[in-house]
Amino acid sequence: MAGIFVFSEENAVARQLLTAGLELKAVMQLPLCVITANADQSDNFIRLGAEKVFVLQAPGAWPEGLAKVVADVAGREQASVLLVGGTLRGKDIAGKVAALLKAGLVSDAQKLKFANGSLETTRLLYAGLALCEDTVALPAVVTVPPHTFAEPAPSAARQGVVQAVEAAPDTRVTISNVHPIKSEGVDITTASKLVSVGRAFLRKEDLGLAEELAKAIGAEISCTRGVAEDYHWLPIERYIGISGQKVKPDLYLAVGISGQVQHIVGIRESKFIAAVNSDERAPIFEASDYGIVGDLYEVLPLLTKAVKH
Amino acid sequence: MPKILVCYKWVLDEQDIKINPSDLSLDSSRAKGKISDFDRNAIEEATQLVEKLGGTVDALTYGTPAVKQSLKDTLSRGPNKVFWIGDASAEKADAHVIANVLAAAIRKIGPYDLIICGEASSDSYNQQTAPRIAALLDLPAITYVEEIGASGNGVSATRKLNDCTEVATVQGPAVISVLGEINKPRVPSLKQVLAASKKPSEEIKIASLGLTPADLTPKVVCISVKGFVMSRKNVIYKDGDAAAKVAKFVASLKKEGLC
Repeated sequence: MAGIFVFSEENAVARQLLTAGLELKAVMQLPLCVITANADQSDNFIRLGAEKVFVLQAPGAWPEGLAKVVADVAGREQASVLLVGGTLRGKDIAGKVAALLKAGLVSDAQKLKFANGSLETTRLLYAGLALCEDTVALPAVVTVPPHTFAEPAPSAARQGVVQAVEAAPDTRVTISNVHPIKSEGVDITTASKLVSVGRAFLRKEDLGLAEELAKAIGAEISCTRGVAEDYHWLPIERYIGISGQKVKPDLYLAVGISGQVQHIVGIRESKFIAAVNSDERAPIFEASDYGIVGDLYEVLPLLTKAVKH
Repeated sequence: MPKILVCYKWVLDEQDIKINPSDLSLDSSRAKGKISDFDRNAIEEATQLVEKLGGTVDALTYGTPAVKQSLKDTLSRGPNKVFWIGDASAEKADAHVIANVLAAAIRKIGPYDLIICGEASSDSYNQQTAPRIAALLDLPAITYVEEIGASGNGVSATRKLNDCTEVATVQGPAVISVLGEINKPRVPSLKQVLAASKKPSEEIKIASLGLTPADLTPKVVCISVKGFVMSRKNVIYKDGDAAAKVAKFVASLKKEGLC
Protein backbone atom coordinates (compact mmCIF):
# COMPACT_ATOMS: atom_id res chain seq x y z
CA MET A 1 0.00 0.00 0.00
CA ALA A 2 1.57 3.27 -1.06
CA GLY A 3 0.69 6.22 1.10
CA ILE A 4 1.46 9.57 2.64
CA PHE A 5 3.02 9.04 6.04
CA VAL A 6 3.43 11.36 9.01
CA PHE A 7 5.79 10.92 11.96
CA SER A 8 6.65 13.16 14.88
CA GLU A 9 7.66 12.31 18.42
CA GLU A 10 5.68 15.44 19.38
CA ASN A 11 1.95 14.70 19.17
CA ALA A 12 1.02 18.33 18.47
CA VAL A 13 3.45 18.50 15.55
CA ALA A 14 2.15 15.20 14.15
CA ARG A 15 -1.37 16.69 14.24
CA GLN A 16 -0.16 19.80 12.37
CA LEU A 17 1.50 17.61 9.73
CA LEU A 18 -1.85 15.92 9.05
CA THR A 19 -2.95 19.21 7.45
CA ALA A 20 -0.05 19.02 5.02
CA GLY A 21 -0.79 15.32 4.54
CA LEU A 22 -4.46 15.99 3.73
CA GLU A 23 -3.44 18.60 1.12
CA LEU A 24 -1.11 16.08 -0.54
CA LYS A 25 -3.75 13.37 -0.33
CA ALA A 26 -6.24 15.50 -2.26
CA VAL A 27 -3.80 15.59 -5.20
CA MET A 28 -1.97 12.27 -4.87
CA GLN A 29 -5.08 10.19 -4.07
CA LEU A 30 -3.15 8.06 -1.58
CA PRO A 31 -4.12 7.04 1.94
CA LEU A 32 -2.85 9.17 4.82
CA CYS A 33 -1.11 7.25 7.61
CA VAL A 34 0.55 8.11 10.90
CA ILE A 35 3.48 6.33 12.55
CA THR A 36 3.60 6.96 16.29
CA ALA A 37 4.94 5.49 19.51
CA ASN A 38 2.04 7.00 21.44
CA ALA A 39 -0.83 4.50 21.34
CA ASP A 40 -3.20 6.82 23.22
CA GLN A 41 -3.14 9.27 20.29
CA SER A 42 -4.44 6.82 17.66
CA ASP A 43 -8.12 7.80 17.82
CA ASN A 44 -7.17 11.45 17.83
CA PHE A 45 -5.10 11.05 14.66
CA ILE A 46 -8.00 9.20 13.00
CA ARG A 47 -10.47 11.97 13.89
CA LEU A 48 -8.05 14.43 12.25
CA GLY A 49 -7.84 12.47 9.00
CA ALA A 50 -5.45 9.51 9.34
CA GLU A 51 -6.80 6.36 7.68
CA LYS A 52 -4.26 4.09 9.31
CA VAL A 53 -2.15 4.50 12.43
CA PHE A 54 0.92 2.34 12.93
CA VAL A 55 1.66 2.16 16.65
CA LEU A 56 5.29 1.31 17.43
CA GLN A 57 5.36 -0.97 20.48
CA ALA A 58 8.14 0.92 22.24
CA PRO A 59 6.57 3.15 24.87
CA GLY A 60 9.02 5.61 26.40
CA ALA A 61 11.82 4.78 23.95
CA TRP A 62 14.41 7.41 23.04
CA PRO A 63 12.79 8.77 19.83
CA GLU A 64 16.08 8.88 17.90
CA GLY A 65 16.45 5.15 18.56
CA LEU A 66 13.27 4.48 16.56
CA ALA A 67 14.68 5.64 13.22
CA LYS A 68 15.27 2.14 11.89
CA VAL A 69 11.76 1.05 12.90
CA VAL A 70 10.22 4.09 11.18
CA ALA A 71 12.30 3.34 8.07
CA ASP A 72 11.16 -0.31 8.17
CA VAL A 73 7.47 0.64 8.30
CA ALA A 74 7.83 3.32 5.60
CA GLY A 75 9.79 0.91 3.40
CA ARG A 76 7.49 -2.06 3.90
CA GLU A 77 4.37 0.03 3.27
CA GLN A 78 6.03 1.68 0.25
CA ALA A 79 5.43 5.17 1.57
CA SER A 80 5.54 7.73 -1.23
CA VAL A 81 6.00 10.69 1.08
CA LEU A 82 7.09 10.73 4.72
CA LEU A 83 6.55 14.02 6.55
CA VAL A 84 8.57 14.32 9.76
CA GLY A 85 8.13 17.02 12.40
CA GLY A 86 11.14 19.34 12.17
CA THR A 87 12.19 19.33 15.81
CA LEU A 88 15.89 18.58 16.34
CA ARG A 89 15.00 15.02 17.35
CA GLY A 90 12.83 14.76 14.24
CA LYS A 91 15.63 15.94 11.99
CA ASP A 92 18.00 13.36 13.48
CA ILE A 93 15.42 10.64 12.83
CA ALA A 94 14.58 11.91 9.32
CA GLY A 95 18.26 11.91 8.29
CA LYS A 96 18.70 8.28 9.36
CA VAL A 97 15.40 7.20 7.79
CA ALA A 98 16.24 8.90 4.48
CA ALA A 99 19.66 7.21 4.39
CA LEU A 100 18.13 3.79 5.13
CA LEU A 101 15.48 4.27 2.43
CA LYS A 102 18.05 5.76 0.00
CA ALA A 103 15.60 8.66 -0.29
CA GLY A 104 15.89 12.39 -0.77
CA LEU A 105 15.22 14.55 2.27
CA VAL A 106 14.26 18.21 2.23
CA SER A 107 14.99 19.93 5.55
CA ASP A 108 12.66 22.59 6.94
CA ALA A 109 10.28 22.86 4.00
CA GLN A 110 8.11 25.96 4.25
CA LYS A 111 5.79 24.88 1.45
CA LEU A 112 5.19 21.61 -0.33
CA LYS A 113 2.99 20.42 -3.15
CA PHE A 114 2.75 17.47 -5.51
CA ALA A 115 3.16 18.31 -9.20
CA ASN A 116 4.47 16.59 -12.32
CA GLY A 117 5.03 13.29 -10.59
CA SER A 118 7.30 14.61 -7.86
CA LEU A 119 7.15 16.61 -4.71
CA GLU A 120 8.00 20.31 -4.97
CA THR A 121 9.24 22.13 -1.91
CA THR A 122 10.36 25.61 -0.90
CA ARG A 123 13.07 26.24 1.68
CA LEU A 124 15.73 28.75 2.73
CA LEU A 125 19.28 28.75 1.45
CA TYR A 126 22.37 30.60 2.69
CA ALA A 127 20.85 31.31 6.08
CA GLY A 128 17.82 32.95 4.53
CA LEU A 129 19.55 35.04 1.89
CA ALA A 130 17.62 33.12 -0.76
CA LEU A 131 14.59 30.90 -1.26
CA CYS A 132 15.18 27.63 -3.04
CA GLU A 133 12.58 25.53 -4.86
CA ASP A 134 13.43 21.85 -5.21
CA THR A 135 11.84 18.78 -6.72
CA VAL A 136 12.25 15.56 -4.78
CA ALA A 137 11.98 12.11 -6.32
CA LEU A 138 9.59 9.67 -4.62
CA PRO A 139 9.82 8.21 -2.09
CA ALA A 140 10.53 11.56 -0.47
CA VAL A 141 11.19 12.49 3.14
CA VAL A 142 10.50 16.07 4.24
CA THR A 143 10.94 17.75 7.61
CA VAL A 144 8.50 20.56 8.32
CA PRO A 145 9.11 23.08 11.13
CA PRO A 146 6.62 23.01 14.03
CA HIS A 147 3.72 25.50 13.64
CA THR A 148 4.06 25.66 9.85
CA PHE A 149 0.52 24.27 9.60
CA ALA A 150 -2.51 24.52 11.89
CA GLU A 151 -4.17 21.28 12.98
CA PRO A 152 -6.98 20.06 10.71
CA ALA A 153 -10.57 20.21 11.95
CA PRO A 154 -11.53 16.96 13.71
CA SER A 155 -14.46 14.85 12.61
CA ALA A 156 -15.85 12.07 14.82
CA ALA A 157 -17.32 10.45 11.70
CA ARG A 158 -13.89 9.49 10.35
CA GLN A 159 -12.92 5.83 10.53
CA GLY A 160 -9.49 4.33 10.55
CA VAL A 161 -7.41 1.28 11.33
CA VAL A 162 -4.88 0.96 14.12
CA GLN A 163 -2.06 -1.51 13.63
CA ALA A 164 0.50 -2.43 16.28
CA VAL A 165 4.09 -2.78 15.07
CA GLU A 166 6.75 -4.74 16.95
CA ALA A 167 9.61 -2.31 17.53
CA ALA A 168 13.11 -2.91 18.82
CA PRO A 169 14.68 0.49 19.54
CA ASP A 170 18.41 1.11 19.07
CA THR A 171 20.03 0.17 22.36
CA ARG A 172 23.55 1.32 21.52
CA VAL A 173 22.88 4.78 22.96
CA THR A 174 21.97 5.26 26.62
CA ILE A 175 20.41 8.50 27.80
CA SER A 176 20.84 10.13 31.20
CA ASN A 177 20.72 13.55 32.90
CA VAL A 178 17.73 14.90 31.01
CA HIS A 179 17.20 18.51 32.07
CA PRO A 180 14.49 20.80 30.71
CA ILE A 181 15.93 24.04 29.38
CA LYS A 182 14.84 26.68 31.86
CA SER A 183 12.49 29.20 30.42
CA GLU A 184 11.78 32.52 32.09
CA GLY A 185 8.45 32.50 30.30
CA VAL A 186 8.96 35.51 28.07
CA ASP A 187 7.80 34.96 24.52
CA ILE A 188 9.49 37.58 22.37
CA THR A 189 7.69 36.29 19.28
CA THR A 190 4.46 37.87 20.49
CA ALA A 191 5.93 41.27 21.49
CA SER A 192 4.72 44.22 19.42
CA LYS A 193 8.00 46.08 19.93
CA LEU A 194 11.51 44.79 20.45
CA VAL A 195 14.73 46.55 21.39
CA SER A 196 17.43 44.16 20.34
CA VAL A 197 21.05 44.21 21.48
CA GLY A 198 24.21 43.06 19.72
CA ARG A 199 27.91 42.76 20.25
CA ALA A 200 28.60 46.49 20.27
CA PHE A 201 27.65 46.50 23.97
CA LEU A 202 30.93 46.26 25.86
CA ARG A 203 29.68 44.99 29.22
CA LYS A 204 26.63 43.13 30.43
CA GLU A 205 25.77 46.04 32.78
CA ASP A 206 25.49 48.31 29.76
CA LEU A 207 22.39 46.43 28.59
CA GLY A 208 20.66 48.66 31.14
CA LEU A 209 20.78 51.41 28.50
CA ALA A 210 18.67 49.26 26.17
CA GLU A 211 16.36 48.21 29.00
CA GLU A 212 15.67 51.86 29.84
CA LEU A 213 14.73 52.55 26.24
CA ALA A 214 12.62 49.40 26.04
CA LYS A 215 10.73 50.48 29.16
CA ALA A 216 10.13 53.93 27.71
CA ILE A 217 8.56 52.60 24.48
CA GLY A 218 6.93 49.47 25.93
CA ALA A 219 9.23 46.96 24.25
CA GLU A 220 10.75 43.60 25.18
CA ILE A 221 14.49 42.97 24.98
CA SER A 222 15.87 40.56 22.41
CA CYS A 223 19.39 39.91 21.16
CA THR A 224 21.71 38.32 18.63
CA ARG A 225 23.10 34.81 18.81
CA GLY A 226 26.46 36.07 20.04
CA VAL A 227 24.97 37.88 23.04
CA ALA A 228 23.09 34.74 24.13
CA GLU A 229 25.37 31.89 23.05
CA ASP A 230 28.85 33.39 23.39
CA TYR A 231 28.47 36.05 26.12
CA HIS A 232 25.57 34.36 27.95
CA TRP A 233 24.25 37.79 28.87
CA LEU A 234 20.65 36.89 27.97
CA PRO A 235 18.77 33.57 27.87
CA ILE A 236 18.70 31.75 24.54
CA GLU A 237 14.94 32.19 24.23
CA ARG A 238 15.63 35.89 23.57
CA TYR A 239 17.96 35.43 20.63
CA ILE A 240 16.80 35.96 17.09
CA GLY A 241 18.13 34.41 13.91
CA ILE A 242 18.20 31.40 11.64
CA SER A 243 18.73 29.01 14.53
CA GLY A 244 16.85 31.12 17.11
CA GLN A 245 13.52 32.92 17.24
CA LYS A 246 11.76 34.45 14.25
CA VAL A 247 9.85 37.63 15.10
CA LYS A 248 7.47 40.02 13.39
CA PRO A 249 6.85 42.97 15.71
CA ASP A 250 5.53 46.38 14.63
CA LEU A 251 8.90 47.86 15.55
CA TYR A 252 12.24 46.09 15.68
CA LEU A 253 14.96 48.41 16.95
CA ALA A 254 18.43 46.91 16.48
CA VAL A 255 21.12 48.45 18.68
CA GLY A 256 24.75 47.63 18.02
CA ILE A 257 23.82 44.79 15.65
CA SER A 258 25.77 44.55 12.40
CA GLY A 259 23.00 42.66 10.60
CA GLN A 260 24.46 39.43 9.25
CA VAL A 261 22.08 37.41 7.07
CA GLN A 262 21.67 34.80 9.81
CA HIS A 263 20.16 37.51 12.02
CA ILE A 264 18.16 39.32 9.35
CA VAL A 265 16.26 36.15 8.44
CA GLY A 266 14.71 36.23 11.90
CA ILE A 267 13.50 39.85 11.71
CA ARG A 268 12.57 40.45 8.11
CA GLU A 269 8.85 40.11 8.61
CA SER A 270 8.89 43.00 11.08
CA LYS A 271 6.61 45.86 10.08
CA PHE A 272 9.28 48.48 10.75
CA ILE A 273 12.99 47.93 11.33
CA ALA A 274 15.13 50.66 12.88
CA ALA A 275 18.80 50.59 13.78
CA VAL A 276 21.47 52.34 15.80
CA ASN A 277 25.01 51.48 14.75
CA SER A 278 28.33 53.29 14.68
CA ASP A 279 29.32 51.75 11.32
CA GLU A 280 27.61 53.51 8.44
CA ARG A 281 28.29 50.50 6.20
CA ALA A 282 26.81 47.91 8.56
CA PRO A 283 24.35 45.71 6.61
CA ILE A 284 21.65 46.38 9.22
CA PHE A 285 21.03 49.78 7.61
CA GLU A 286 20.14 48.17 4.27
CA ALA A 287 17.50 46.21 6.16
CA SER A 288 16.22 49.26 8.05
CA ASP A 289 13.44 51.77 7.53
CA TYR A 290 15.04 54.28 9.88
CA GLY A 291 18.51 54.48 11.32
CA ILE A 292 20.99 56.53 13.27
CA VAL A 293 24.70 56.30 12.59
CA GLY A 294 26.23 56.88 15.98
CA ASP A 295 27.73 55.47 19.15
CA LEU A 296 25.04 53.63 21.09
CA TYR A 297 26.51 54.87 24.39
CA GLU A 298 25.79 58.42 23.29
CA VAL A 299 22.60 57.78 21.32
CA LEU A 300 20.61 55.52 23.66
CA PRO A 301 20.31 57.89 26.64
CA LEU A 302 19.26 60.70 24.29
CA LEU A 303 16.76 58.41 22.59
CA THR A 304 15.24 57.30 25.89
CA LYS A 305 14.89 60.92 26.97
CA ALA A 306 13.40 61.98 23.62
CA VAL A 307 10.68 59.31 23.50
CA LYS A 308 9.60 60.14 27.04
CA HIS A 309 8.66 63.64 25.89
CA MET B 1 43.95 6.98 22.33
CA PRO B 2 41.18 7.87 19.95
CA LYS B 3 41.45 7.95 16.21
CA ILE B 4 39.16 10.75 15.14
CA LEU B 5 37.83 11.80 11.75
CA VAL B 6 36.30 15.19 11.20
CA CYS B 7 34.19 15.89 8.11
CA TYR B 8 33.94 19.39 6.72
CA LYS B 9 32.42 21.27 3.81
CA TRP B 10 34.07 24.08 1.85
CA VAL B 11 31.34 26.64 1.16
CA LEU B 12 30.96 30.13 -0.26
CA ASP B 13 30.95 32.86 2.37
CA GLU B 14 27.29 33.90 2.39
CA GLN B 15 28.18 37.40 3.61
CA ASP B 16 29.78 38.08 0.20
CA ILE B 17 26.86 36.85 -1.91
CA LYS B 18 24.83 39.67 -3.41
CA ILE B 19 21.35 39.63 -4.89
CA ASN B 20 20.90 41.07 -8.40
CA PRO B 21 17.93 43.42 -7.99
CA SER B 22 16.83 42.97 -11.63
CA ASP B 23 16.09 39.24 -11.53
CA LEU B 24 16.76 38.29 -7.88
CA SER B 25 19.50 35.90 -8.99
CA LEU B 26 22.46 35.40 -6.68
CA ASP B 27 25.81 36.93 -7.55
CA SER B 28 28.54 34.92 -5.89
CA SER B 29 31.35 36.17 -8.13
CA ARG B 30 32.92 38.01 -5.19
CA ALA B 31 32.29 35.31 -2.62
CA LYS B 32 35.34 33.58 -1.24
CA GLY B 33 35.40 30.03 0.04
CA LYS B 34 35.50 29.18 3.72
CA ILE B 35 35.32 26.12 5.94
CA SER B 36 31.64 25.99 6.87
CA ASP B 37 31.09 27.68 10.25
CA PHE B 38 30.07 24.73 12.42
CA ASP B 39 32.61 22.47 10.70
CA ARG B 40 35.27 24.77 12.15
CA ASN B 41 33.80 23.93 15.57
CA ALA B 42 33.99 20.24 14.64
CA ILE B 43 37.69 20.56 13.68
CA GLU B 44 38.42 22.50 16.87
CA GLU B 45 36.64 19.93 19.06
CA ALA B 46 38.48 17.00 17.46
CA THR B 47 41.77 18.84 17.89
CA GLN B 48 41.09 19.66 21.54
CA LEU B 49 40.13 16.02 22.23
CA VAL B 50 43.46 14.68 20.95
CA GLU B 51 45.35 17.46 22.73
CA LYS B 52 43.75 16.13 25.91
CA LEU B 53 43.63 12.37 25.27
CA GLY B 54 46.30 11.76 22.66
CA GLY B 55 45.44 10.09 19.38
CA THR B 56 45.13 11.49 15.88
CA VAL B 57 42.74 13.61 13.86
CA ASP B 58 42.17 13.12 10.16
CA ALA B 59 39.92 15.40 8.13
CA LEU B 60 37.75 14.46 5.17
CA THR B 61 36.01 16.68 2.65
CA TYR B 62 34.01 16.27 -0.56
CA GLY B 63 33.52 19.21 -2.88
CA THR B 64 34.13 20.51 -6.36
CA PRO B 65 37.78 20.64 -7.49
CA ALA B 66 37.94 24.05 -5.72
CA VAL B 67 37.89 22.18 -2.41
CA LYS B 68 41.66 21.82 -2.78
CA GLN B 69 41.95 25.45 -1.65
CA SER B 70 40.73 24.42 1.80
CA LEU B 71 43.46 21.92 2.66
CA LYS B 72 46.00 24.27 4.19
CA ASP B 73 43.42 26.13 6.26
CA THR B 74 42.14 22.82 7.59
CA LEU B 75 45.58 21.47 8.45
CA SER B 76 46.56 24.70 10.23
CA ARG B 77 43.60 24.17 12.57
CA GLY B 78 44.97 20.92 13.98
CA PRO B 79 44.29 17.80 11.91
CA ASN B 80 47.29 15.57 11.12
CA LYS B 81 46.16 14.68 7.63
CA VAL B 82 43.39 15.63 5.24
CA PHE B 83 41.68 13.38 2.69
CA TRP B 84 39.88 15.20 -0.09
CA ILE B 85 37.53 14.29 -2.88
CA GLY B 86 37.39 17.03 -5.50
CA ASP B 87 34.83 16.16 -8.14
CA ALA B 88 32.42 18.07 -10.37
CA SER B 89 29.55 15.88 -9.10
CA ALA B 90 29.62 17.93 -5.87
CA GLU B 91 28.16 20.92 -7.71
CA LYS B 92 24.67 19.38 -7.74
CA ALA B 93 25.09 16.84 -4.96
CA ASP B 94 22.26 16.68 -2.41
CA ALA B 95 22.62 15.34 1.12
CA HIS B 96 21.95 11.81 -0.18
CA VAL B 97 24.93 11.95 -2.55
CA ILE B 98 27.19 13.75 -0.06
CA ALA B 99 26.54 11.13 2.63
CA ASN B 100 27.05 8.26 0.17
CA VAL B 101 30.43 9.68 -0.89
CA LEU B 102 31.61 10.43 2.66
CA ALA B 103 30.47 7.04 4.00
CA ALA B 104 32.21 5.20 1.15
CA ALA B 105 35.40 7.16 1.78
CA ILE B 106 35.23 6.38 5.51
CA ARG B 107 34.88 2.66 4.70
CA LYS B 108 38.06 2.99 2.66
CA ILE B 109 40.22 5.04 5.08
CA GLY B 110 38.66 4.01 8.42
CA PRO B 111 37.75 2.70 10.85
CA TYR B 112 37.65 5.61 13.31
CA ASP B 113 36.63 5.75 16.96
CA LEU B 114 34.81 9.02 16.50
CA ILE B 115 33.51 10.79 13.42
CA ILE B 116 32.69 14.43 14.11
CA CYS B 117 30.67 16.75 11.85
CA GLY B 118 29.26 20.23 12.24
CA GLU B 119 25.54 20.40 12.98
CA ALA B 120 24.78 21.83 9.53
CA SER B 121 26.52 23.61 6.67
CA SER B 122 26.37 27.39 6.25
CA ASP B 123 25.01 27.13 2.70
CA SER B 124 22.27 24.51 2.58
CA TYR B 125 21.81 23.97 6.35
CA ASN B 126 20.38 20.51 5.79
CA GLN B 127 21.47 19.04 9.16
CA GLN B 128 21.61 15.63 7.48
CA THR B 129 25.23 14.55 7.10
CA ALA B 130 25.83 13.15 10.60
CA PRO B 131 22.61 11.10 10.93
CA ARG B 132 22.89 9.90 7.34
CA ILE B 133 26.49 8.68 7.56
CA ALA B 134 25.73 7.07 10.93
CA ALA B 135 22.89 5.11 9.33
CA LEU B 136 24.96 4.19 6.27
CA LEU B 137 27.89 2.99 8.39
CA ASP B 138 25.56 1.35 10.95
CA LEU B 139 27.04 3.43 13.77
CA PRO B 140 25.13 5.18 16.56
CA ALA B 141 24.68 8.95 16.13
CA ILE B 142 24.79 11.62 18.82
CA THR B 143 23.58 14.84 17.21
CA TYR B 144 23.38 18.48 18.39
CA VAL B 145 26.18 18.18 20.92
CA GLU B 146 27.35 21.07 23.11
CA GLU B 147 29.92 19.14 25.15
CA ILE B 148 31.93 15.96 24.60
CA GLY B 149 33.50 13.85 27.35
CA ALA B 150 35.28 10.51 27.17
CA SER B 151 33.67 7.49 28.82
CA GLY B 152 35.71 4.29 29.12
CA ASN B 153 36.25 3.05 25.60
CA GLY B 154 33.32 5.12 24.39
CA VAL B 155 32.02 8.65 24.43
CA SER B 156 29.56 10.62 26.50
CA ALA B 157 28.13 13.81 25.04
CA THR B 158 25.64 16.46 26.12
CA ARG B 159 23.02 17.21 23.50
CA LYS B 160 21.07 20.44 23.40
CA LEU B 161 17.60 19.97 21.96
CA ASN B 162 14.61 22.27 21.55
CA ASP B 163 13.40 22.02 25.12
CA CYS B 164 15.95 19.99 27.07
CA THR B 165 19.51 18.85 27.37
CA GLU B 166 20.46 15.19 27.76
CA VAL B 167 23.61 13.11 28.04
CA ALA B 168 24.01 10.36 25.45
CA THR B 169 26.58 7.62 26.04
CA VAL B 170 27.90 5.14 23.52
CA GLN B 171 30.42 2.33 23.99
CA GLY B 172 32.48 1.97 20.85
CA PRO B 173 32.55 4.11 17.74
CA ALA B 174 30.00 6.86 17.07
CA VAL B 175 29.14 9.73 14.76
CA ILE B 176 28.73 13.09 16.48
CA SER B 177 27.41 16.43 15.23
CA VAL B 178 28.42 19.53 17.18
CA LEU B 179 26.71 22.86 17.75
CA GLY B 180 28.40 26.22 17.25
CA GLU B 181 28.53 26.90 20.98
CA ILE B 182 30.65 23.82 21.80
CA ASN B 183 33.87 25.85 21.51
CA LYS B 184 35.51 28.87 19.97
CA PRO B 185 37.58 27.80 16.95
CA ARG B 186 41.17 28.94 17.18
CA VAL B 187 42.71 31.49 14.87
CA PRO B 188 45.71 29.50 13.61
CA SER B 189 49.07 30.97 14.66
CA LEU B 190 51.81 31.65 12.12
CA LYS B 191 53.61 28.56 13.43
CA GLN B 192 50.51 26.42 12.87
CA VAL B 193 50.07 27.85 9.37
CA LEU B 194 53.71 27.07 8.52
CA ALA B 195 53.46 23.58 10.01
CA ALA B 196 50.35 22.94 7.92
CA SER B 197 52.31 23.01 4.68
CA LYS B 198 54.40 20.06 5.91
CA LYS B 199 51.37 17.94 6.78
CA PRO B 200 50.12 15.30 4.33
CA SER B 201 47.03 15.50 2.18
CA GLU B 202 45.67 12.67 0.06
CA GLU B 203 43.27 12.86 -2.82
CA ILE B 204 40.62 10.16 -3.09
CA LYS B 205 39.22 9.67 -6.58
CA ILE B 206 35.47 9.29 -6.54
CA ALA B 207 35.76 6.43 -9.05
CA SER B 208 37.75 4.44 -6.49
CA LEU B 209 34.87 4.37 -4.00
CA GLY B 210 32.77 1.66 -5.66
CA LEU B 211 29.65 3.85 -5.80
CA THR B 212 26.85 3.10 -8.26
CA PRO B 213 25.35 5.75 -10.57
CA ALA B 214 22.25 5.67 -8.30
CA ASP B 215 24.41 6.51 -5.27
CA LEU B 216 25.71 9.58 -7.12
CA THR B 217 22.35 10.77 -8.50
CA PRO B 218 20.77 13.52 -6.40
CA LYS B 219 17.22 12.87 -5.21
CA VAL B 220 16.65 16.54 -4.46
CA VAL B 221 17.11 18.79 -7.48
CA CYS B 222 17.05 22.56 -7.26
CA ILE B 223 14.72 24.16 -9.81
CA SER B 224 15.02 27.81 -8.79
CA VAL B 225 16.94 30.02 -6.38
CA LYS B 226 15.71 33.52 -5.75
CA GLY B 227 17.26 36.10 -3.48
CA PHE B 228 15.01 37.27 -0.69
CA VAL B 229 14.55 40.99 -1.06
CA MET B 230 13.18 43.33 1.54
CA SER B 231 11.87 46.67 0.55
CA ARG B 232 12.70 49.13 3.31
CA LYS B 233 12.69 52.92 3.48
CA ASN B 234 16.41 53.20 4.30
CA VAL B 235 16.11 56.65 5.89
CA ILE B 236 19.41 56.84 7.75
CA TYR B 237 20.40 59.88 9.82
CA LYS B 238 24.16 60.16 9.79
CA ASP B 239 25.01 63.87 9.76
CA GLY B 240 24.91 66.41 12.56
CA ASP B 241 25.30 65.93 16.31
CA ALA B 242 23.74 63.03 18.17
CA ALA B 243 20.87 65.11 19.61
CA ALA B 244 19.83 66.33 16.16
CA LYS B 245 19.92 62.79 14.72
CA VAL B 246 17.90 61.44 17.64
CA ALA B 247 15.30 64.21 17.21
CA LYS B 248 14.79 63.38 13.52
CA PHE B 249 14.74 59.64 14.22
CA VAL B 250 12.13 59.98 16.97
CA ALA B 251 10.02 62.27 14.75
CA SER B 252 10.06 59.54 12.06
CA LEU B 253 9.02 56.83 14.51
CA LYS B 254 6.25 59.08 15.88
CA LYS B 255 4.95 59.69 12.38
CA GLU B 256 4.63 55.92 11.91
CA GLY B 257 2.85 55.66 15.25
CA LEU B 258 5.65 53.59 16.76
CA CYS B 259 6.38 55.63 19.88
